[in-house]
Amino acid sequence: MNCLDYRRLLLTGAPETEAMRLHRMQCAGCAAEHREHGALESALREALEVAVPEGFAGRMARAQVLRRRRFLAAAAAVLAGAGAGGYAWLTRPDPVAMACIDFVMKDESKAIMMGGMPRAAAAAALEPTLPLSHLEKVGQVMHVGPCPFNGATAYLVILDVPQGKVSLLVMPSAKRERDGHADKEGMSAAVMPMHGGSVGIVGDDRALVASVMGALKA
Amino acid sequence: MSFEDAVRAHADELFRYAYWLARDRARAEDVVQEALLRGWRAFPRLRDAAATRAWLFSIVRNEYRRAAGAAAREESLDGVDLPDERTDPGGLEMRDALRALPAAYGEPLALQVLGGFSGAEIADLLGLTEGAVMTRLTRARQALRRLVAPRARAGGRP
Repeated sequence: MNCLDYRRLLLTGAPETEAMRLHRMQCAGCAAEHREHGALESALREALEVAVPEGFAGRMARAQVLRRRRFLAAAAAVLAGAGAGGYAWLTRPDPVAMACIDFVMKDESKAIMMGGMPRAAAAAALEPTLPLSHLEKVGQVMHVGPCPFNGATAYLVILDVPQGKVSLLVMPSAKRERDGHADKEGMSAAVMPMHGGSVGIVGDDRALVASVMGALKA
Repeated sequence: MSFEDAVRAHADELFRYAYWLARDRARAEDVVQEALLRGWRAFPRLRDAAATRAWLFSIVRNEYRRAAGAAAREESLDGVDLPDERTDPGGLEMRDALRALPAAYGEPLALQVLGGFSGAEIADLLGLTEGAVMTRLTRARQALRRLVAPRARAGGRP
């Protein structure tokens, strides 16, 4: 290793290698350069390591615990409701909820292939029924796009929540009075009234659908 | 490791990184809070627990850029001049010198010094090649050497 190589490596901030150390031991100029570099690095670290607000890590960690509790509480409330109406869920499948499952199984991939809407357009389309900002509090919105559903235009939303992925069908023009549920071919769906329209939720199991339902209602 | 454990372990360094990006304590705290909310949602999909730390840094970076808007988008290096000693012939304090560095040069440096990330990890985080990261690290240190007053470089205070 020569002086140029040594100084070039020093400036990258990479840890000193054995070859660098051996060169430094034999070269007074590079040894001085190493000392100056060390002082600069100390000053750099000191400048970057600003004081963190008192108890910051604990406060952030507690916020995560609260967030999880809120989500689980909302899910539990809906599950309790679903428990009360569980018999209805089992025995009287809702036709719109069934149609939601059919849509996800047969037409969802085609709808996604058609492409998503730009954020501003998606926010405007969803606003009257289920505002995008509310959805973003529940999970990560992966896709929003229009799709024909039950003879009207609905909006397919793919939502990623901590427990998994769900598909929502936001139906601005489909009013309904009460929640409905259905299970079919390993999938579960719920439909609920929402601000003058309705929303269908389809997921891999009943608990996932119920938890998202609770979070959307919260 | 649960998400709460990850937050407890890394929140302080995430705050320091966010502060370096935002240059404001309140904004840094907001950025970390919002980033952790996004992280909490996405955590179940994180397959490699060993990557948690780098992943959290990348979420903080993305959240800062989202919140700051176009001003924080990746700056082109075309026309970005590194400051030199003419900025202040008497030399600057290190913190002021860091502020004078364009973000394209200062950010890899902050990730290396604060986060302890390697060149390859910084390249992944910033979407650059490792060679480009090394060049920026070198040029950033060269600029700091030119800018910083000798007493500050030696760790002294004015």
